[in-house]
Amino acid sequence: MTLVLQNLGTFVVYALIAVFVQNAVFTRGFGVSRLTKLVTDSATDSLIFCALLTLIQILSAPMGYYLNQWLSAPEHWYRDYIGPLGYVLCALVAYGLVLLVIFLLPLANKRELMAVLPLATLSCAVLGPMLITSSQHYTFAQTIGFAVGSGLGYGLAVIMLSEGQRKMNNRKVPATFKGLPINLIYIGILALAIFGLTGHMVSY
Amino acid sequence: MKDDRVRYFAENMDRLSRRDRVFLNNPVIMQGLGLAPIVIPANSVMSAAVLAMGVLLLLTPTRIIATLIGQHVGFKMRAVVYALTAGVVFIAVAYIMESLFGTQLLSVGIYLPLLVMEPLIVKRFENPQKERIVTSFKKGILTTIGFCLVLFIMAALREVLALGTLGGIEIFRGPLLPMASMPAGGFILLGVVAAIWRAAVNAFKKNVSLGVKKLP
Repeated sequence: MTLVLQNLGTFVVYALIAVFVQNAVFTRGFGVSRLTKLVTDSATDSLIFCALLTLIQILSAPMGYYLNQWLSAPEHWYRDYIGPLGYVLCALVAYGLVLLVIFLLPLANKRELMAVLPLATLSCAVLGPMLITSSQHYTFAQTIGFAVGSGLGYGLAVIMLSEGQRKMNNRKVPATFKGLPINLIYIGILALAIFGLTGHMVSY
Repeated sequence: MKDDRVRYFAENMDRLSRRDRVFLNNPVIMQGLGLAPIVIPANSVMSAAVLAMGVLLLLTPTRIIATLIGQHVGFKMRAVVYALTAGVVFIAVAYIMESLFGTQLLSVGIYLPLLVMEPLIVKRFENPQKERIVTSFKKGILTTIGFCLVLFIMAALREVLALGTLGGIEIFRGPLLPMASMPAGGFILLGVVAAIWRAAVNAFKKNVSLGVKKLP
């Protein structure tokens, strides 16, 4: 019972760390290219994208953990070379599983989900947390917590950037700053606020 | 601007705006690709050199191989092809990079393997149109040049502002803006650079259209 509670505590702490202290977008810059497009693209539903991204992360994180355990053996000297390919495979297996579920379930927006799923899978926001958890040798509970938190943290970034769009589309913003430049400056200000909260830079 | 150049730019502006990957349609400034490596680890010219070599070795080969394989698979499988190709090409890239840079690779950390899923490398899968091998080679090289140009500009700016040095050589005594080396500084600086770049592109286009009106 104590072990379960201990692991649950670790899971919650690492999820919170991934949401706020090591936010995928504001401190690591993962998936920021997609994010700047997502908030200005009315054709793609941001919430669906974030939900699928989190799902892919949750499914691929345990596979990434066990792959890292196997690669960590001293005889696997080629770990740094094939590691990224292995994590891409984990993400693609998760992609296949989610695709199968979407295909089997009687969902009304199947076509939309199937169009967004590759974009959510092939994202630095999926590979990045796997690389962090493997390079920093996280435990299973820490890995899953970090994966869940990274997905939620990305969702938080999407919500914050979407909310800021109204202000950024204000006519007082100079024309040359509209679009990508003002979005980057806004993300930078939010990143500075996160830095003010945590007080340190994360290592990479 | 000379008359014949004005005429050439005016006649080909639409095509150039789509195809030019260095100035008019830079992948970073205009399309917002490759932002993570530029705003986080590229805070010195040395880090930029490591990242530039990584992109140079990864982007064009991945694009060419994925184009070759993509001609035999359906559009829905294109994402899988691009991701796996980038992962396989990275094995060779990692080996070459380690022999070239050794421990200096630590300056970019996980951002080198992260290039495998960077939209700059794999975004082509979203386009349903098939690409010719020659086109993928040309676009791969031009996209690399466009990305590296912004990467080095940003890295040099960040190093000068944050450390007062350029390529390790002291330019100012002490840092001018220590925040430039942080992710927040990277985002804000890139936003300002993007705005200036876009203003320059708009000014160029305006100059061409004004020049056309003055043509005899």
